[in-house]
Amino acid sequence: MKLNIDGLLVYFPYDYIYPEQYMYMLELKKSLDAKGHCALEMPSGTGKTISLLSLIVAYMKANPLEVTKLIYCSRTVPELEKVVAELKNLMDYYEQQLGKGKPKILGLALSSRKNLCINPEVSQERDGKNVDALCHKLTASFVRANHKRDATVPVCSFYESYDAHGKEMPLPEGVYGLDELQEYGRKKGFCPYFLARHAITHANIVVYSYYYLLDPKIAEVVSKELSKNAVVVFDEAHNIDNVCIESMSIKITRRTLDKCQQNIDGLSKQIQRLKDCDAERLKTEYQKLVQGLRDANIARETDVILANPVLPDDVLKEAVPGNIRTAEHFLGFMKRFLEYMKIRLRVQHVVSESPPSFLKDCYQKVCIERKPLRFCAERLNSMMRTLELVEIHDFSALSLLCHFATLVSTYAKGFVLIIEPFDDRTPTISNPILHFSCMDASIAIKPVFDRFQTVVITSGTLSPLEMYPRILDFRPVTMATFTMTLARTCICPMVVSKGNDQVAMTSKYETREDVAVIRNYGNLLVEFCSIVPDGIVCFFTSYIYMESTVAAWYEQGILDQVQKHKLLFIETQDAAETSLALLNYQKACENGRGAVLLSVARGKVSEGIDFDHHFGRAVIMFGIPYVYTQSKILKARLEYLRDQYQIRENDFLTFDAMRHAAQCVGRALRGKTDYGIMVFADKRFARADKRSKIPRWIQEYLKDGLCNLSVDEAVQVSKRFLRQMAQPFSREDQLGLSLLTVEQLDQEDTKKKLQSRMQYV
Amino acid sequence: MAEEEEKGYRWETEYERTWEAIQEDEKGSLQASVDDIISKAKKRKLLEKIKNVRLGMMRHLFLIIDMSEAMSDQDLKPTRLLSTLKLLEYFVEEYFDQNPISQLGIIITKNKRAEKVSELGGNPRRHITTLQSLADKVCHGEPSLQNSLELAHQTLRHMPGHASREVLVVMGSLTTCDPDNIISTISMLRDGNVRCSVIGLAAEVCVCKKLCKETHGSYSVILDECHFKDLLTQHVTPPPATASTESSLIRMGFPHHQLSADKEERPSMCMCHLDSKNSQGFSSTGYFCPQCKSKYCELPIECKACGLTLVSAPHLARSYHHLFPLDQFREIPTAQVGSNVLCFSCQTAVQELNVYICDNCERIYCLDCDLFIHETLHSCPGCASSRQTQQSAKMAGFS
Repeated sequence: MKLNIDGLLVYFPYDYIYPEQYMYMLELKKSLDAKGHCALEMPSGTGKTISLLSLIVAYMKANPLEVTKLIYCSRTVPELEKVVAELKNLMDYYEQQLGKGKPKILGLALSSRKNLCINPEVSQERDGKNVDALCHKLTASFVRANHKRDATVPVCSFYESYDAHGKEMPLPEGVYGLDELQEYGRKKGFCPYFLARHAITHANIVVYSYYYLLDPKIAEVVSKELSKNAVVVFDEAHNIDNVCIESMSIKITRRTLDKCQQNIDGLSKQIQRLKDCDAERLKTEYQKLVQGLRDANIARETDVILANPVLPDDVLKEAVPGNIRTAEHFLGFMKRFLEYMKIRLRVQHVVSESPPSFLKDCYQKVCIERKPLRFCAERLNSMMRTLELVEIHDFSALSLLCHFATLVSTYAKGFVLIIEPFDDRTPTISNPILHFSCMDASIAIKPVFDRFQTVVITSGTLSPLEMYPRILDFRPVTMATFTMTLARTCICPMVVSKGNDQVAMTSKYETREDVAVIRNYGNLLVEFCSIVPDGIVCFFTSYIYMESTVAAWYEQGILDQVQKHKLLFIETQDAAETSLALLNYQKACENGRGAVLLSVARGKVSEGIDFDHHFGRAVIMFGIPYVYTQSKILKARLEYLRDQYQIRENDFLTFDAMRHAAQCVGRALRGKTDYGIMVFADKRFARADKRSKIPRWIQEYLKDGLCNLSVDEAVQVSKRFLRQMAQPFSREDQLGLSLLTVEQLDQEDTKKKLQSRMQYV
Repeated sequence: MAEEEEKGYRWETEYERTWEAIQEDEKGSLQASVDDIISKAKKRKLLEKIKNVRLGMMRHLFLIIDMSEAMSDQDLKPTRLLSTLKLLEYFVEEYFDQNPISQLGIIITKNKRAEKVSELGGNPRRHITTLQSLADKVCHGEPSLQNSLELAHQTLRHMPGHASREVLVVMGSLTTCDPDNIISTISMLRDGNVRCSVIGLAAEVCVCKKLCKETHGSYSVILDECHFKDLLTQHVTPPPATASTESSLIRMGFPHHQLSADKEERPSMCMCHLDSKNSQGFSSTGYFCPQCKSKYCELPIECKACGLTLVSAPHLARSYHHLFPLDQFREIPTAQVGSNVLCFSCQTAVQELNVYICDNCERIYCLDCDLFIHETLHSCPGCASSRQTQQSAKMAGFS
């Protein structure tokens, strides 16, 4: 259907449109017009992806000079594939409608070498790191130079032919998913990975993972040349601050330091050898370093590349300090720094300090100044190039240390150093860890906001919306949340606050060991197992809590009662075990036996695995998933947020807990024909501060009457709900209510109704 | 007292939110909305009937009754099982009334096993006594959908190709405990042309939905007792025949019931009770197969000796209306016809907003009479009262 979105002709590949999709496009258009950023929340399963794609493609078609590129960031490979499939669908529709006149669009997905490699030997490797290392071994420039001299040195034929012909021959327009890229690569004999990496500079639509844009180490290589007039979309962005923080944080253990020692020894041998046979090379490098990193500076000034937070601006303007210019000096310097780090790790109690005090101490003890430290990362890179090292992977420990050195000397604010002599759980075993933890999510994402004209942050659960601009430090032009228009009430959220014996149910720390509370939680599960068909997913607040509760249930005989109705599966920290459990869980749901999956909020299951239709008819949240509050890193971050952004500790903790709770319960509902029960089993969920942080599309159906139920009452409500939902439901029932045609969209009263579906924040 | 304790006290049973089932209309009145829903539902059911479709008239239906622990739940009064059995009695009667040349059998499933409590047969009384005896049995364990389907299939497999094979499952449990992969059983049933329908008493179960979809049956879940009854009634009318049902001419015998008028006739066992230990079926009266003279005590039946289908003429005549259902009456507002309209059949003034007119004889009926005519009578009294209209109605039926 063809839509008129505020004067823009949008081709939409379906015959009907959900009202909220229409509103979503309107809001998106506004922020594109304003060239500003926006944060939009819309429930999962209402077609966010296709709305985004069709609007932005239409916008690019109408204003080819203003928006030249769409960068779509998602989290996992299956999600990437979904986006590519929708994009193909859209382009097919364009072709069908316009024939030859369709916009010339090149869209492609980019993933790691592991998913793209077609070299028969390399692609056999399962582990991503190994694939990268093997690829590097075959494609590094000096390896190829050696190959020219000596034909027995192996190289990758795909890369060779890509390098010879592929660069001049641009990808023909079209949409390329990972499979299509591989196929194209096979046909032409090109390496799909490098082809894609080259092609993203001129592609109109790029679909890839968050890390390609947010992780400074990867962004440096992949994304630095992307055009400024681009729209960046972060889908499933409810955890984006954690991604930012993770990409800037560094963890150093004693093992890392030991490996660094080995690396340094290895490097000094290499240098010695090189000195004997090819001293000229070292000299040219020295000359280059005297010149400084001027090239990079020019590039940044002319605004060709994305800024890199690991490589701060002022570093570029200066020459590399004299004391680390020659290779031996640099290694000696690193040795000293390494020794210092070793001393620091030899602690008996927890140390927490800021980067300036660390630097001061460093200067006093081993006379290392701040300035040379800042150049470490760049200096190491340059040395690696000069030495022509093949196994870059082996030197990861040293490069980690250099990154740390650069970061710690660059940022005085927003970071904290925490040295723990032992793990919290095993206080007797000495296992020192240095956490260099980023506390400010805005550092990593700042270059993205600064560079691109529109950044869209969107997810099914972004509540409360006002928190995100604060922690990411940006000014959105629009922030809006959309609810789901439903022809029938297909979600049934409820807060179960007490057992049949009126004992309050809560996972509060003081009462969580209480037998009565555990028994009531058990009763809740047993009752729900007997009335809910097929699959039930339960979420606990942590692995420890789950273990202790399940053990108590076993003693109380509750597990036996559960198993009368359903099979029981448990998520563990072992990924292989969990995926096996999931597989069997799905099997049990399929063949009618029914199953319960006990899992943990923030675990693998709670993020990224959908329990649609019969795989999850009910989700039970046992307790509020607060993060482990005793962690030093968290405490430091809370303090920082309070001082810098005036966010109170409690507000942030509740926000974080509620977004995870919303993620968990949102797993059950993945579309409008689906239905599911969402049980919040903790009396604290009923309080206003928690309730108001649940996404609006769930809150809407969480009536006051459903906020303080006992187990029995909850069972009655669910029984009735399940019977109603089982009645036949056809597409015709949705028409006009939650599915609209073009004519219906134009009517005045629908427009009024639509407004009520959305709320600005 | 002991029984009382088992059921529990009234206040220990569930909360009922009866007030939530009723909804106010715009003016705040309750009655209108309820009436509206009822009449709409009644009408819709009639409209669903399609004319001139080949129907599977010779039905072989197996009722599978879940007798697992879930059936002792009290959300249907007094228990799910008792309520189900009561409604099934009504269903069995209705079934044989509407499908006289069809047969029925009953299977129960509990404790992961399936048991055939009543063989396929055409005698409603026998099935009803079986159903009544089930009320005393205890419900326990889990049901096994697969075992009971396999059991039904074993018998249905041998039924002739022109007959429709059907299974109707009444399922209270939300789980099934199967020995093997049920998916293969489902595809076996599909290949064997067995139409499986399920009525769920609690919620939608994925595997049941799949079963019904694969085998072209219908899946429904009850809301309350009334709805349960409606759903059962829907299974009374024969389903359209599938394309893979053979069409063939069937040889049928029409035996007369012979009373022991002839003194020389000695009492003998009938064929249907040969295996039974008691003296049931040992008499001198019965139906004798016109081809081989073997004796049967009930009709319709397939002759065990020569394979001839034995029916009585009224049986066939009673099935006739399924093939040529009465045309729908036209609905028009009462005000259009004039004031003080009398219904042709009940001769009372019509109170409702709409009246119904037969297109053939142009007589006016009220809603209740309309429903009675279409559901029970299957012929229009207006048309039948004059020869001319009667003829034209018949012609219309055959066209």
